[in-house]
Amino acid sequence: MDYDVLVVGGGIAGMESALTLGDMGYSVLLAEKEPTIGGKMILLSKVFPTLDCASCIATPKMASTFHHPQVTCMTYTRVKNISKTARGTFQVALDRQATHVDLDKCTGCQKCELACTVAVPDQFNFDMVARRAAYIPFPQAVPKKAVIERHGTSPCSLACPAGVKAHGYVSLIRAGMFDEALELILEAVPFPGALGRICYAPCEGVCTRAELEGALPIRKLKRFAADHYYQKHPKPKHGPPKKKQIERVAVVGSGPAGLTAAYHLARRGYSVTVFEAAEKPGGMLRLVPTFRLPPEVLDRDIANVTALGVEIRTGERVEDPAALRLKGFKAIFVAAGLPKDRKPALEGTDLANVVGALGFLRQAGSRERPKLEGKTVAVVGGGRHGIALDCARTACRLGAKQVVLQFRRSREELCIFESAIDDAIEEGVTIQFHRAPARLVGLGDKRVRVESREMLAGKRDVSGRILPGSAGKAAEALDADLVVLAVDQGADLGQLKGELQTAGMKTLAVDPRTLETRVPGVFAGGDVVSGPSSLVEAIGTGTRAAACIDRFLRGTERTPVELPALPAVDPKSVLQRQARYSRLPPAERGKRPAEQRRADFQEVETGFDEAAARQSAARCLDCGGCCECHQCIAACPADAIDLGMRDREKMVEVGSVVVSTGFRLFDAGLKVLYGHGRFPNVIDAMQMDRLLSPTRPYNTVLRPSDGKMPDSIAYILCTGSRDCQVDNPLCSRVCCMYSVKQAQLLMGALPMADVSIYYIDIRAFGKGFEEFYEQAKAMSVRFVKGKVARVEEGEDGKLILHYEDIAGGGKLARAEHDLVVLSVGLLPNQEALGLFSGGVLKPDPHHYVHEVDEDHSPARTSIDGVYVAGASAAAMDIPDTILHSGAAAALSAAYVERLKR
Amino acid sequence: MSDQLRDPREIVRDEMFMRDRVLAALKEGPKTVPEIAEAMSWPVHEVMFWVMACRKYGLVAEIKDPDGDYYQYELVEKEG
Repeated sequence: MDYDVLVVGGGIAGMESALTLGDMGYSVLLAEKEPTIGGKMILLSKVFPTLDCASCIATPKMASTFHHPQVTCMTYTRVKNISKTARGTFQVALDRQATHVDLDKCTGCQKCELACTVAVPDQFNFDMVARRAAYIPFPQAVPKKAVIERHGTSPCSLACPAGVKAHGYVSLIRAGMFDEALELILEAVPFPGALGRICYAPCEGVCTRAELEGALPIRKLKRFAADHYYQKHPKPKHGPPKKKQIERVAVVGSGPAGLTAAYHLARRGYSVTVFEAAEKPGGMLRLVPTFRLPPEVLDRDIANVTALGVEIRTGERVEDPAALRLKGFKAIFVAAGLPKDRKPALEGTDLANVVGALGFLRQAGSRERPKLEGKTVAVVGGGRHGIALDCARTACRLGAKQVVLQFRRSREELCIFESAIDDAIEEGVTIQFHRAPARLVGLGDKRVRVESREMLAGKRDVSGRILPGSAGKAAEALDADLVVLAVDQGADLGQLKGELQTAGMKTLAVDPRTLETRVPGVFAGGDVVSGPSSLVEAIGTGTRAAACIDRFLRGTERTPVELPALPAVDPKSVLQRQARYSRLPPAERGKRPAEQRRADFQEVETGFDEAAARQSAARCLDCGGCCECHQCIAACPADAIDLGMRDREKMVEVGSVVVSTGFRLFDAGLKVLYGHGRFPNVIDAMQMDRLLSPTRPYNTVLRPSDGKMPDSIAYILCTGSRDCQVDNPLCSRVCCMYSVKQAQLLMGALPMADVSIYYIDIRAFGKGFEEFYEQAKAMSVRFVKGKVARVEEGEDGKLILHYEDIAGGGKLARAEHDLVVLSVGLLPNQEALGLFSGGVLKPDPHHYVHEVDEDHSPARTSIDGVYVAGASAAAMDIPDTILHSGAAAALSAAYVERLKR
Repeated sequence: MSDQLRDPREIVRDEMFMRDRVLAALKEGPKTVPEIAEAMSWPVHEVMFWVMACRKYGLVAEIKDPDGDYYQYELVEKEG
C-alpha cells in the first residue's frame, strides 16, 4: 500500500478527515482537483452563528493539512478511477494536471499573473471579476503557487507549420503590446512582414470564431505587428548572440527555408554563411510581385537574419555543396529551391514569345521590364499558390490591353487566396476556368495562337481532391503577343547533385526524420526536397533543419526533432464555454481601388491601424486558455514557468477511501423569473459572501450594474431548494442562517442600508440559531413572509419584486430594491458516484452518496472500505460537516486496521 | 438596459482590449464607474467589470470617502 487512506476532495470535510487520520498516525493522500485546498469554506466571509471569520478558521486548517507529516496533498489532481482489489485495498488512478509552473521554484510572487494577457472569469469570485490564465487562486491559497490554465493548444497556433504562436501574438495585440507581439513572432520566424502578406494562413482555416461569424484576420494582424514594429525600428533591435559556437555552417540558397535555418542557427551561436546565386537574397520571395510583397518589407525581414551576424554572399553559385566541408564548414544545409521553369508536354513551347512564369516575373522585377502596352497576354496554368495570377496581374500593370488566364481546373483549385482571384478580375484579367491549351502555333508575326480545349469537371478522389477532367470540345483560339506558362517548377539539380542523391530525378533525397542527405553533415530541405510548398511550410522546414543541424553538431541524438505541443482544443468545447455570443463581424479586408492598382505596382491590400487591429484581435475566443505569449516566462524571477509540462497519470494503492467531494450550488439562472443573468443587480448568495469577504472582488458591497452602494437589499430564500419545479424538494439547511448572517454583516458594511428577507418559513434549528435570528430582527433586518413570484428591472437598475404577502393576508404586493440576493440551495455533487469500478457507490434517492446505515454507522457507504464525509452525503453546515468527517475518519481507520491484521 | 446581458466571459475577455480606455478616462481625474462609462460611451455594468479588474491588479484604486452613493476611482501611480 502506498497510503493508508485516500481522501477525495480538499474542502473542509476532506481536510478534517485527513487531519484526524494523520493525527492517528495513518498515511493519507489528499487529492484535490483545484490548485488549492480549502473548498468553499475559505471563500466565505464569516460563519454562522458565531460570526467568526471563515478565513481565520480555514486558513490554519489548510496549512496544517498541507504541512502535516502524515498527509500528502496533491492539488490540481483528479481522481479518474478507483477499483477495489481482492485484498480489500483500492487501486487509484490519478490525473496530475500540469500546472506549467515548477512548484518548487515558484515563490507565489504573482508576477506571471500580472504579466498574463488572457483575462477569464475568476471562478473563486464567482465570475464577478477577472483573473488571468496564469493565476494564484486567492491570497490565502495553499499552496500559494501559480498555475497556468491550458486546455490544449489553440487551433491557430497548432496549425502553423512554422510554429508561430498565433494565439499569443493576437492576444498581445489585443492588449496593445505591439512590440511584444512582433518579438513573439520573431522567436519562431524571421519573416513576419512577408508572412503577414502572403501566407496562406492555415491558422485562419481552423479559427474557432469561424463557427460564429467569421475567422479572425490572423494573417493581417501579423502584418500589422510587423508594419508597426518596422516603422518604429527600421533596423533590428537585436544583434549577434553573446554565446558563440565554434562551428561554421553553410547554407546554400537564401529562400525562406535557407534563411530561416540560418536565423535559428545564428541564434544558437553558430557562424553561418549563406550562398545565393542570384543578385539579391530572398529566393522565390523576390519573385512575388511588389503589389503583394513590397521589396522594402522583404529587405527588412532579411535584416532580422543578417543582424545576427549571418553573412549572405550573393552572386555565388555553389556547384558542389558537399565540397564546402573542405572549406571549414562543419554542416551544410542545401535549400536551393525550385528556380527553374518546367515546360509542359505541349507543342509550341519553344516558340519565341512563349516564356515561363518564373522567367516572366524575374524580368518584370528587373530594370528591363517587358513592354506590353496594347498587347494581348495569355497565361496558361495555375502554378504554385496562384503564380499564374501573379503573372496575369503583373501583365495588366505592364499595360497589356487584354490578359487571359486559362486554367484547366475549377475556381476553387486555382489559388488558395480566394480574394486574389477577385482582385485579378477587378484589375481586368479574364479567367477561363476548365480550359487547357492543346497546342501553341506560331503565327509568323511573333504572335502565338493558343488552341485550347474545354475541360470537363473532374471527379473527387478519396481524399476529396478534384482530379483533372478529360478534354472536351475545342474552344475558341486566342492569338496572343505573349504566352506565359505557369505550369511547373524544378530544381537546378545539375548544379547540386555532386555526391547527393536525387529522389525521382526532381528533388534531393534526405532522411525524412533528420533532413540529412546520404553525405554526413550535408542536410537539405525546403522545395528542393519537398517539391513546391508554401512560404510558411518552407519556413517550418528551415526551423526543423536548424534543430537537426544543431543536434548533429552537438553530437546528440538526431531524431526526432518535432516541436512538442499539447493537442488542439476541441472547438465545440470552446463554444460551450459561453451561453451566448455577441455577433462581431470581421473587419473589412481593405484594398485600394482597382483603377489605381492597375496603374502601379504599389501594394494592393491596406493594413490595419491600431484601433482596427485591437478590435479585430479582441474577437479571439482564447481557445487554449493560455495563449503562449510568453510574457509570464519573461516576468518570472524564479524561472519557474514550464509550458512543456504535461499531465501525468499516477497509480497508487490505498487501504481505504474517504469521499469528501462536497456539494454544488444551485444555478440561480434556472429560476428564470428571478432574473439572474438578465439583470446585473440580481446576484446569488455565494456572490454576496464574496462581496462581504476580506478578499472581495470589489472594494466594498456595490451593485454590479454601476458600482453604487445599495440602499435597499432583498434576499429571496429557498431559491432552488424546497422547489419541485427545479427537482429539488429538499431543504438545504443552511440558506436561512447564511442569509441571516449576511444581513447582519450588511448592516455593518452599509449602516444606512435596509435589508429585507423574503421567506417561506425560517428554519433556525441548530445551536444558537434562534438567538442569531432574533439578533438580526433586533438589528432591524426586515423579515417578510412571502413567496416571490418574479423580479423585474425598473429605472436606474432598481429591481421590483412581485410577491405574495402571506402575513398581509395573501394579497399580491410589490417592493423596490437596489440589489436582490438569491439564497440558492445546495445540490449533490455526483462526481464521486462515477469514480468506482468493480463496485457501485450507491446514491440515495436525492443523488447524494447513500449512507447505508445512517442511524448507527453514519459515513458508511455501499462499498466496504469507502466512507463519505460532509456534504457529499447530505446538505449540512460546517459544524455538522466536521462531526461527520470525524466519523468517516474513524471508520476508515478501523477498516485499515482490519486490513493490516 | 437590455434584456439580454452579454455573457460574463465575453465581457471579461474584453478587459485586455478595453483596459486602456478605462485608464484613459481616469487620466483627467478621479471618476465614479458611471462617469467612466459615460466617458467611454459604454454600458455601465460592463465597465464595472473592467474597473474592478483594474483595481484587482493595482492599476486603479478607490478614493477613501465615497462621493454620495458612489466611490470614485483614480489611477495608481507606478513606482519608478
